[in-house]
Amino acid sequence: MDEQRDFARFLNAVDVDGAIAEASHQRRLALSRRGLLAAAAAGAGALLLGRSEARAASGLSANDVGILNYALVLEYLQASFYTEAERSGALSGKTAQAARVVGATERAHVKAFQKLLGSKAVKRPLFDFQGVTEAQQAFLKTAVAFEDLAVAAYKGQAPKLQSSAVLAAAVGIHSVEARHAAWMRQLFGVTPAVNAFDKPATKQNINRIVASTHFIVAHPKMKARSKPQYTG
Amino acid sequence: MKTLLRLAAALAVVIAISLLWVGLGGSHRQGADLSSAAYSSLPAAPAPALRIGRPERLSSSRFISRWTTVRRPTLARSRPSASAPVVTELSTHAPEGTPNALSAIGARTDARSRVWVEVRLPVLPNGTRGWVPRRSLGAYQTLDTRLVVDRSALRATLYRDGKTIFSAPVAVGTSYWPTPAGRFIVRSELTRYASPFYGPVSFGTSARSAVLTDWPAGGFVGIHGTNAPQLVPGRVSHGCVRMRNSDILRLARLLPVGTPLLIR
Repeated sequence: MDEQRDFARFLNAVDVDGAIAEASHQRRLALSRRGLLAAAAAGAGALLLGRSEARAASGLSANDVGILNYALVLEYLQASFYTEAERSGALSGKTAQAARVVGATERAHVKAFQKLLGSKAVKRPLFDFQGVTEAQQAFLKTAVAFEDLAVAAYKGQAPKLQSSAVLAAAVGIHSVEARHAAWMRQLFGVTPAVNAFDKPATKQNINRIVASTHFIVAHPKMKARSKPQYTG
Repeated sequence: MKTLLRLAAALAVVIAISLLWVGLGGSHRQGADLSSAAYSSLPAAPAPALRIGRPERLSSSRFISRWTTVRRPTLARSRPSASAPVVTELSTHAPEGTPNALSAIGARTDARSRVWVEVRLPVLPNGTRGWVPRRSLGAYQTLDTRLVVDRSALRATLYRDGKTIFSAPVAVGTSYWPTPAGRFIVRSELTRYASPFYGPVSFGTSARSAVLTDWPAGGFVGIHGTNAPQLVPGRVSHGCVRMRNSDILRLARLLPVGTPLLIR
């Protein structure tokens, strides 16, 4: 239950219009923001996913589904960041090359998580990177922060996974994120490896950092019910 | 005697080296055997639950376009500079009440490291572009759809990733009130209003009539249904693009707001 409550808090911090919580294909699977918060508040063993849905079709526990969705949101964040940077065409030299390579692997991570979670995968939120993808130094500074964040987040959640098969996958991704972090750090001009031991980050810290960026935004409502005033 | 002693000493050295070599080799082999035995007693690693595929390179599709909305009222300038002449003022909302959507066609960083975005402006003359501070705009969204209205053929065609996914006959403006040509954006979708003249669904665009400048809300051109389907196809409107209601409903299922619009 702790993982589910943590994930509910995480969504509360970053899901500005409830779009993330909306399950891709089956809304009834109860990953709505309101449902998560209600369940978190209720505590006392209330399952976020219905009793019959406590284990996903792939055999994952509700605990592991929560952790995987949490990781998926962070992967969405990274993949969208590198994709936007590559499309902007504003990066150059080794930084542009790194953005291409790292972006390609982050998109592969997203695809793998979506495939594993199936209908329980949270939807991709809308990201507003506010220009940091269009200026080289701002890009690198943000990339270092994102990669360090991902490394710390994986480290913080890996010991809580119940499935050793999921843990094996998470360790594989964690080391890739660490390589990304070192690469971006080197490009930004800071020491790639400083510590003998890296501390994990709690979800609360990750929530606070992600929410403080305001990079996750509400989808603009482009449909309305007003009467047209077009020329006709 | 001395020769014999030298030979004996040399022989001793050779024997010592040989013994050392055999000893090292023996212990090395013994160590390998031990570690092999220890390794074989370890449990097998579990198969990862995720199968991470090959890195996903971005497609180089030339049909990808980018749009955004105005997050805060701002000025569009003729160059990416705060001192450049003002082209127009942009508000956060379109006349329809929806966020003011703009096609983003380029970006540049100025000498003070501020990012400027080049956008198509919803002003006359049609086709006007301007530069807006990035911080005044919202999130970028990308699309691979493109809507083309052909005034000669009286037909609208929607493409996705370059492939036709919708095509229907349309009515366009008369010679007095022509539908303007150029590159625009579909910037809103209106539904559930009570006006048979506009049909069940209508799309707002950034195209403006160059003639009906005093029309309410500025004379913007819409794409909408009609209560006079017998006039489609034709050249009968005040500049709007009219479709039969069955076609506009079909289009509404396929056309995302933000899609680039080419009227030719």
